[in-house]
Amino acid sequence: MPAVQETIDQVRQIDVDQYKYGFETHIEMDKAPKGLSEDIIRFISAKKNEPEWMLEWRLDAYRRWLTMDEPSWARVRYPKIDFNEIHYYAAPKGTTGPRSLEEVDPELLKVYEKLGIPLKEQEILAGVQKSKIAVDAVFDSVSVVTTFKEELKKAGVIFMSISEAIREHPDLVRKYLGSVVPPTDNFYATLNSAVFTDGSFVYVPKGVRCPMELSTYFRINEKNTGQFERTLIIAEEGAYVSYLEGCTAPQRDENQLHAAVVELVALDEAEIKYSTVQNWYPGDKEGRGGIYNFVTKRGDCRGKNSKISWTQVETGSAITWKYPSCILRGDGSRGEFYSIAVSNGHQQVDSGTKMIHLGKNTSSRIISKGIAAGVSDNTYRGQVSAHRKAENARNFTQCDSLLIGDKCGAHTVPYIEAKNSTAQFEHEATTSKISEDQLFYCLQRGIPEEAAIALIVNGFVKEVIQELPMEFAVEAQKLIGISLEGSVG
Amino acid sequence: MNMQQAIKMTAAETALVDAYTAQIGDLPGDGAVLSLRDTLVHELRTAGLPTRRIESWHYTDLRTLLRAVPAADASAFADRVEAVVPGSSVLAVRSGQADLKSLPRGVTARSYTESLLDGSAVVGLTVLGADDAIGRINGGLVRGGLEVTVAENVELEAPLEIQVVQSHGQAHTRFPVFFGAGSKATVIERHLSTSAEASFVSTVSDVTLAEGADVIWIILQQQGMADTHLGQIRFDLGKDAKLHLFVINAGGKLVRQEIHGKASGEGADLTLRGINLLGGESHTDVTFTLSHDVPHTTSSEIIRNVVFDRAKGVFQGKILVAKDAQKTDAKMSCNTLLLSDDADFSAKPELEIFADDVQCGHGATVIDIDHTQLFYMLARGIPENKARAMLVNAFVAEIVEELEDDEELVEALEGIISAWLEKHA
Amino acid sequence: MLEIKNLHARIAEDGTEIIRGLNLTVKAGEVAAIMGPNGSGKSTLSYILSGREDYEVTEGDILYNGESILELDASERAAKGIFLAFQYPVEIPGVATMQFLKVAMNEQRKYRGEDELTTPEFMRRVKEAAAELKIAPEMLRRPLNVGFSGGEKKRAEILQMALLEPNLCVLDETDSGLDIDALKVVADGVNALRSPDRAVIVITHYQRLLDYIVPDTVHVLYKGQVIKSGDKTLAHELEAKGYADLIEAAA
Repeated sequence: MPAVQETIDQVRQIDVDQYKYGFETHIEMDKAPKGLSEDIIRFISAKKNEPEWMLEWRLDAYRRWLTMDEPSWARVRYPKIDFNEIHYYAAPKGTTGPRSLEEVDPELLKVYEKLGIPLKEQEILAGVQKSKIAVDAVFDSVSVVTTFKEELKKAGVIFMSISEAIREHPDLVRKYLGSVVPPTDNFYATLNSAVFTDGSFVYVPKGVRCPMELSTYFRINEKNTGQFERTLIIAEEGAYVSYLEGCTAPQRDENQLHAAVVELVALDEAEIKYSTVQNWYPGDKEGRGGIYNFVTKRGDCRGKNSKISWTQVETGSAITWKYPSCILRGDGSRGEFYSIAVSNGHQQVDSGTKMIHLGKNTSSRIISKGIAAGVSDNTYRGQVSAHRKAENARNFTQCDSLLIGDKCGAHTVPYIEAKNSTAQFEHEATTSKISEDQLFYCLQRGIPEEAAIALIVNGFVKEVIQELPMEFAVEAQKLIGISLEGSVG
Repeated sequence: MNMQQAIKMTAAETALVDAYTAQIGDLPGDGAVLSLRDTLVHELRTAGLPTRRIESWHYTDLRTLLRAVPAADASAFADRVEAVVPGSSVLAVRSGQADLKSLPRGVTARSYTESLLDGSAVVGLTVLGADDAIGRINGGLVRGGLEVTVAENVELEAPLEIQVVQSHGQAHTRFPVFFGAGSKATVIERHLSTSAEASFVSTVSDVTLAEGADVIWIILQQQGMADTHLGQIRFDLGKDAKLHLFVINAGGKLVRQEIHGKASGEGADLTLRGINLLGGESHTDVTFTLSHDVPHTTSSEIIRNVVFDRAKGVFQGKILVAKDAQKTDAKMSCNTLLLSDDADFSAKPELEIFADDVQCGHGATVIDIDHTQLFYMLARGIPENKARAMLVNAFVAEIVEELEDDEELVEALEGIISAWLEKHA
Repeated sequence: MLEIKNLHARIAEDGTEIIRGLNLTVKAGEVAAIMGPNGSGKSTLSYILSGREDYEVTEGDILYNGESILELDASERAAKGIFLAFQYPVEIPGVATMQFLKVAMNEQRKYRGEDELTTPEFMRRVKEAAAELKIAPEMLRRPLNVGFSGGEKKRAEILQMALLEPNLCVLDETDSGLDIDALKVVADGVNALRSPDRAVIVITHYQRLLDYIVPDTVHVLYKGQVIKSGDKTLAHELEAKGYADLIEAAA
């Protein structure tokens, strides 16, 4: 992009230390010793007062994991992880699980205040926030508080931490846990199955439209700690739920591991909308530190005419390895994936989706926007497949990449597999830079260069931003701006 | 203990290694050539044939798909056949033996066997990478082929047809071809078998275009329904060189056609067109990589597939744009008509881009026959089966017509396509 | 020639009923205009007559020369002489117009037990008809309808109609997107085909086309039924007053 040499220079100098959530909080912590063994798993399970079956499930996964190899097919490079140098459990002292807001350590509440996460129900009700959002706040390995539980309960919606759900709704958890992402699925999912510490559980009963947005806010605080969240969302027949997820972590020189598993189950005519704004610490300008975000997210459109929609804005993490997928099992079911992945500095992103068409008349739509700046690498990897019986399967994929500067890379790796003659797949991909014509046009209208680039980038990602709930859309737009600071707005 | 020897060789792997051992005293070349052959066959023995775990073989697990390899047979013999385009100069390689007859002015050729014997072949015998199974098998077992040079500024009036005819057994051939600066030519690389007996064929063409050369290269694969065809073409495009590469697969049971190219001179341009006519129980894989290494190069790729019966098809295409290759313009598309519920097709069109001032895109579609078009034809009184056949034909013929400058060539290729469709539809 | 009796039809995919008890008779030699507001079922009727599979007839019958045609597929109906001039002629890349014409003419002849045309005879007929319609030979070498202008597409439809010599011509909004000169050429082409043993159904939204192709009868279609029939004066009436009064009277 010769016209904006200045921009390139700025990208080169970019200091990712602008990360605004990099503070660390000193709170007395209860930690498991470093390392992974059956004893550690027993320790975690005991800390959470889990029933015996849960412990057995974890141990089975652990034994399986010992026989597995780390995947190497993604376009990411990192030094070998020593899984025995990680703490698999860390919780603020005296916390064994969530409780009422009054009981939560004020230091912790300050953390969320600083992050801008609304936890105080009365403030929200008093109109400080425009619309109601129920929040489950997960701090390192435990959920510290879940808001609006009572109000949701009235509607019949269960929203609590997964640790609580294992104790309070064991039948539901047992029926669905691992039914979408089996404990044997892949290296990181299996590891998660063995050591997962907390996450959210949502159950929306038949015919219920969840009265407010649900969200979970993940925070990694403690050093050398892995976060292994596990989220399970079930929408019964005709139910609807919209769920949001946000994440941040302090700035550190060491890399930290986040290996989550998210499972969604949509029964007949149900709809689940899952949005993520991922802003884990990306590492500094030299590429030191940052989160390894190795995540397995999968939705099962189990019922007829069910719908699962994934929307993600990925701006953080040193490495992202993430493919939120849909299994379109029910006839007439629909899967959607909307993604913005921004990489700057030394970040590496390998992300995309899988749309597996199994039922008749299933449809899917993929819109992916990748923006690479700095010396980052940004890969879209997606699979669309129609099985023999997936009559009239339809897919539309649009996958665009934008490069800012000439030191970064943008890659597109789609896998398109059709085994049914009535399937119709359409895939389009483009890679380009910000065109000089567009830029000139903006400049000529008096818009300064950085603002012009921001404007153009916002236009580039608009299709996806529109899919986000309003509150998140604004935040996401700002976040994209911040992530590209030095090269845009 | 050597861990690598732990793999248990499949019947096909054993047959290939045995073919080498059996012919070792007989294969042309010694010294460096022989030692390179030894290395390649050793790698084949230790690594085995590629499986789907090797990313570039994801959809063609050669180790599982290649069940058997017919033994090499020195007595195999095949006649040359008539040229695709009347009036072409035919250079035939029959059962691996070069048969040089008429050479047009400005073209020189010699048997590749001589290059193996005098050792000059060794440079080109190397593999492209650890996953280059075709290069490895071919390099280990190659017996002959042709080395062709088209002199500077020579314009050939009629096509040059390189005919590789095989009756049965094995054939491993190589074709280093050099097009001098400013030369202009049409080459038809044609593979066919003259019997229903199984043959196993590997072939590597190594094509270099010097500055300003303008070449149409057609690979016409018409092997028999029992044959395995492992083909590879490597090309390097110099400054302002123009290559129009046309790949037609219309035969074979197990086919992998690799195309690996480099646009290494500014102004280089590649046009790749592929037609895959797939039927029966065949498995056909076209794998393409192109690296745009310097600024201001262009490429355009269109692949059209029609898949009948229980056939399986694969297209993998990867466009790499190097860091300095600004102003690259590359467009790739892969369109498939699936015509049977037992057929399948997988496509993996990749972009790998390290330069920012580029225009790159790819598209892939899997479609059914367009119902509006079909209805329109029915409404004009054309019966459904005929209407379908016309639409299928149109779907692939469209890209043949781009060769409009050469009517005879277009006619010949259209003839081959409609003959195949009539037989299979 | 054509008798439609109490026809009910719906969209096959979602079951939406479009034609609801339609009756219509068109005699040989007659030019019948079918008019009606948008969404009244005019285009659907043309598709059902020509046998498009996206619609299902649930009740009633369509008799053509006294025989039901409901069991015939689109190509059989065409070979029996039913021609639909499409509102939006379809583009078929890769199939030259000439090639298409030859196949269509010969397949219809085959169905009727006639000999195929020799190439010179075919060429002669095409050249003659094309000249009448001011169609350049160059256009016939291009892929069917690909890159044709709106006027060229409609003229190509009329050319096909002339060459295929149908008995029943259905013109679906043939006037849409045509300027006045193109409209005249098209109308002349249709008028030249008028004969005592041929019937024409002109589907149109406006009176304009009917100034050039003067109808014998005019039928108003509304919500899938013929709500009024009359002679050509009915069309003028509609042009002056619009559909509202009629619809009210029918309701």
